[in-house]
Amino acid sequence: MANHMKEQERIPTSKVQRASKFISAGAKVGGNYIKHYAQKMVNPSLSKEELHTSNAADIYDSLSELKGSALKVAQMMSMDKNVLPRAYQDKFIMAQYSAPPLSYPLVVRTFQKYFGVVPEALFDTFTRSAVNAASIGQVHKATKDGKTFAVKIQYPGVAASVSSDLKMVRPFAYRLLNMNSKELDHYMSEVEEKLLEETDYQLEVARSEEISRACSHIPDLSFPTYYPGLSSERIITMDWLEGAHLKEWLASNPTPDERNKIGQALWDFYHHQVHHLKQVHADPHPGNFIIQEGVKLGVIDFGCVKVIPEDFYRGYFSLIKQDALMQEKELNQIFFDLEFISEQDTAAEQAYFKGVFKEMISLLGQPFHAETFNFANDAYFDRIYSMGDRISKDKMFKNSRQARGSRHGLFINRTYFGLYSLLNQLRANITTTKPDWLK
Amino acid sequence: MEEIEVTDHNTENTKAKILRAFIEHVLETGREPVSVYKFAQSLQIREEEFYQYYTSFQGVKGGVWEQIFEQTIAMMEAQEVYRGYSAKEKLLSFYFTWIEVLRKNRSYLLALYQGQAGYKRAMPNELRSFRNRFRDFANLIILEGKESEQIAERRGLSDKYDDALWAETLFILQFWLKDTSTSFERTDAAIEKSVNLIFDLIGKTAVDSLFDFAKFLYQSR
Repeated sequence: MANHMKEQERIPTSKVQRASKFISAGAKVGGNYIKHYAQKMVNPSLSKEELHTSNAADIYDSLSELKGSALKVAQMMSMDKNVLPRAYQDKFIMAQYSAPPLSYPLVVRTFQKYFGVVPEALFDTFTRSAVNAASIGQVHKATKDGKTFAVKIQYPGVAASVSSDLKMVRPFAYRLLNMNSKELDHYMSEVEEKLLEETDYQLEVARSEEISRACSHIPDLSFPTYYPGLSSERIITMDWLEGAHLKEWLASNPTPDERNKIGQALWDFYHHQVHHLKQVHADPHPGNFIIQEGVKLGVIDFGCVKVIPEDFYRGYFSLIKQDALMQEKELNQIFFDLEFISEQDTAAEQAYFKGVFKEMISLLGQPFHAETFNFANDAYFDRIYSMGDRISKDKMFKNSRQARGSRHGLFINRTYFGLYSLLNQLRANITTTKPDWLK
Repeated sequence: MEEIEVTDHNTENTKAKILRAFIEHVLETGREPVSVYKFAQSLQIREEEFYQYYTSFQGVKGGVWEQIFEQTIAMMEAQEVYRGYSAKEKLLSFYFTWIEVLRKNRSYLLALYQGQAGYKRAMPNELRSFRNRFRDFANLIILEGKESEQIAERRGLSDKYDDALWAETLFILQFWLKDTSTSFERTDAAIEKSVNLIFDLIGKTAVDSLFDFAKFLYQSR
């Protein structure tokens, strides 16, 4: 893994350069396939998993060198655990931790542009190099009057390059995600919208303050204070949260009680956002959470917030009732509303897709069906992955004339997969709450 | 003694006045004044007085560039953190500050240089003194870079490094003139990336080691 962590000295600049990066990755992936089949002739027991591992390494290398939105797409794909083979996921999760740093003069320049002064004039101390890299920015540690701050600075030009980056990722996503092109457009336009929002740091500060205030009553949660006066379109200043990243914390062998406590805080946090605030921190990857002393869950980074429209909310969550309680007619209506099926479909297609979606929903809704659910249950996750795998290979989906599922579903699904997979990593036993109208 | 001081003061004044009036004229009319005679008249000085300071409008434009350079250096060195910078960071800092100074003069520069294809034709003579000053600055950086081994010494090549940096400077100027992104963010990215590239090229690379190794093999045949 060490070779991937080496500091990157040059970012590909022009579109041509960037495009050639993708092409070189494409060539390598092609090569891996050839290698795979050549080895397979000699050694028939070679698994696809190994092939995926070498593909993922090459694709990740290319994506991480691109930074910015391409990296973000890699992250998003890594979130949709059900869609990607396991080897890809592990590789992409790496993307959440490492990206190359920007020069200090550029940091100074950004400060001067927005505040008219150098960082040292605003803070007592300010680290010369980044202490942490985010996908579209980097974090410096600063102190003032005995308080410690995290200052996030956005890479210049990210907002301007979102659209062109996404166009380049498209052919890759097409191969990786195994979607038909209509579905991919659907996916990409939602991703683009969210990415553009993510580059708006003032929006992020406003949302962070709003959500952290609205969630302040939830036990075992903590949020940094944000400082709008020290923030701008490209800079965010917030409290520095002391603590360990989720992965580090898990490596330190916490007790089951502690793991359950963190897991429950996480569940309650999402429950409150989805069912009461109707807007949700749609980026539940491990890098966005910090475990603080006293086993408290610190939430950072509200870059990606999905607002849930009311009619979508009703339809989507009424599906988590157990099927037995559902009328066929009611269910049909919901499927139409959520764009899972449409009038264009033949009766046979309707029946087929309905069957698949019902299965998917009953599987994903399972944690809601009992009072408590043990997320340490790997068999449950294997069933989700294998279903995802099966659907991604399904000919009916690939040849489908339209995208299936409402665009809002994209981020809600992603949020729930992310949440489930975090809880799985925590091996937590959770009291799964439901909103009153579903009881 | 006193008298000399007074003239000095006046010299500075008239020179600055000429530069200011010239910039204003370009800003308001979009082009250079018709003749030195007319220009001097509008300034209420005699034509020969103008020639004491500049021989042509070309020279005045050069004077504006010199002023831009001086301001850049002054602003840059006013930053306390600058002294602690490495060679590469100093160059980055120069460009970022320079772009900031240019921004204050953007309309003037656009009026003179927009739409002129290629920097070779657009930037001939009036940039000469700016270039000389920049070269001095660049050579200081290169020297510092060589000492700290950020920059590789290559016989026959390393005395051309300042040319490379000058070409980059012109590239950034052109890029900035055409930049339409919010608060010139694309230019910021262009500076960051092009300086990274240049330092990768003039720094010690695999090619140097390869050359060294090849030489060794050849000599030990």
